[in-house]
Amino acid sequence: MSFIMTKKKVKPLAFWALALLAAAAFFLPFYWAISLSIRNPKEAFTVTGLAVPFLQYQPTLSNWQTELATGETQRALLNSSIIAAGAALLAVLLGAPAAYAIARFRFRRPSNEGLTLWFLSQRVLPPVATAIPFFMMMRFLHLLDTRTALIILNATFSLPFIVVILRQAFLDLPIELEEAALVDGAGHMDIFFRISMRLAAPSLAAAVLIVIAFSWNEFLFALMIGTLHAKVIPVHMAGAVDTRGIQFWFVAVRTLLSMLPPVILALLAQRYIVRGLTFGAVKG
Amino acid sequence: MHRDSRVKWAFLLPAALWVLCFTIFPLVYGLRLSFFRVKIGEPDEFVGFENFVQFFQDERGLQSAAVTLIFVLSGVTVQMALGMCLALLFNRDMPLRGLLRTVLTMPLFATPIAVGFLFVTIFYEEGGLINGLLRWDVPWLSHPHWALVSVILVDIWQWTPFCFLIFLAALQGVSEDYYEAGRLETKSGWMLFRHVTFPLLQPTIVLVLLLRITEAFKVFDIPYTLTSGGPGSATQVLSMYAYRVGMRFFHFGYASSISLILFLLVLVTVSFMFKQIRQTYS
Repeated sequence: MSFIMTKKKVKPLAFWALALLAAAAFFLPFYWAISLSIRNPKEAFTVTGLAVPFLQYQPTLSNWQTELATGETQRALLNSSIIAAGAALLAVLLGAPAAYAIARFRFRRPSNEGLTLWFLSQRVLPPVATAIPFFMMMRFLHLLDTRTALIILNATFSLPFIVVILRQAFLDLPIELEEAALVDGAGHMDIFFRISMRLAAPSLAAAVLIVIAFSWNEFLFALMIGTLHAKVIPVHMAGAVDTRGIQFWFVAVRTLLSMLPPVILALLAQRYIVRGLTFGAVKG
Repeated sequence: MHRDSRVKWAFLLPAALWVLCFTIFPLVYGLRLSFFRVKIGEPDEFVGFENFVQFFQDERGLQSAAVTLIFVLSGVTVQMALGMCLALLFNRDMPLRGLLRTVLTMPLFATPIAVGFLFVTIFYEEGGLINGLLRWDVPWLSHPHWALVSVILVDIWQWTPFCFLIFLAALQGVSEDYYEAGRLETKSGWMLFRHVTFPLLQPTIVLVLLLRITEAFKVFDIPYTLTSGGPGSATQVLSMYAYRVGMRFFHFGYASSISLILFLLVLVTVSFMFKQIRQTYS
């Protein structure tokens, strides 16, 4: 009997240890970045192994201070924020009404299902396939190296997310409220803005956080288009490595500066991540 | 459904026009470019399928197609398997479960370009994290084969959480009743997984596979920063090759045809799974 008891207790413990180990392994790169970012440059290579602060070296915030005081870095952070927020706003303005239309009205040619798949299918397209034409369009419109161009671009990439996630959100709302308002003489526009959008707010917020994270992380187009004035954090980082080589401590600071905002935003939307990432197909 | 009203077009059209302008038009324009030889300052010259033919005679092009396929197949396979194992592991009560799950979510949203640079310092051969910690001597980034392994490993680090999260959500949606019924038949955990869990999760597995494959084919940022496609062109994926041909050498026509070949590769793969996806979203 006692043998069975211990066996029953050992198994969950072993599973828990495995889970801890897995989480630690996935966290290790973040830990390494933090550890590098608070290390004196002289100690970047001399401290070995796990590099535990205080035990193996005296941590310092000077790398962070130097980096954050750089005008170029501040500018890149500002550009990234404006572009990510602007693109999300634009994608919602365009996408939310479309999602509502697909959820609440019947379309025949193309069908509702066809419309959803049409928006969804854009995610299949490799970005590089539209990169050169997009570059030429922006050159034609004199929008090269502007935030506007990158807002347009990221809104385009975000649109399918917004449409497909919000379509599901609207479908999940009870239609009776809208019908009652229609009977009372309200117009569709009123109902959309005053009732449906408000009720769908949680899904909307989650979708927005996720698309902000993705816009923040976009690199390929930013590299082509935002060369100087519209330079965002990822491009700023790549450029510095090209000219200065891999300076471990600054790479670590920039890595964290660039990773933390999207990671934090996504964690805020954690309850909705699964739904967002599967375009509403799997509920988290 | 509401009664039909013309207002539906007012709701739908802005988004539809936007897609026509900024997705469909560039795609069609790219298709046109791929049949031309484009030189700055000269009128475009129609060359028919010459750009596509050139690809199949271009050693670098074919190599980058091979690198892309190896990257997609091996990376996605490991991510699916590991993600499923982790999901099964986390599908039980345990202390700190929420926190551990959160930690496992983080790599997914980390800026890929930053991840690439960060892993340069991790794979660094002298003084880097892995060789330092394990006292290994692996030429992670300087040997062609190891470089490809490194790129795939980083992709696994970043995207296993994606498979894990979705599988875990799906597992939690499976009613306990199914397992109880299953336990009447067998005590083996593997048999339960094989005959109860797996069939129930099958639509989700196909969906994750599809989403992962399409994303993996697009990969650009990580090889760009981790290895710059090197050493030589050992880790140059198709996206990178198309980008280089276009933006460094300004062969816009040839670059367009390379990216369309990549698009075709994705489409062919996706079409095998299309039926399932149609059911998921209808």
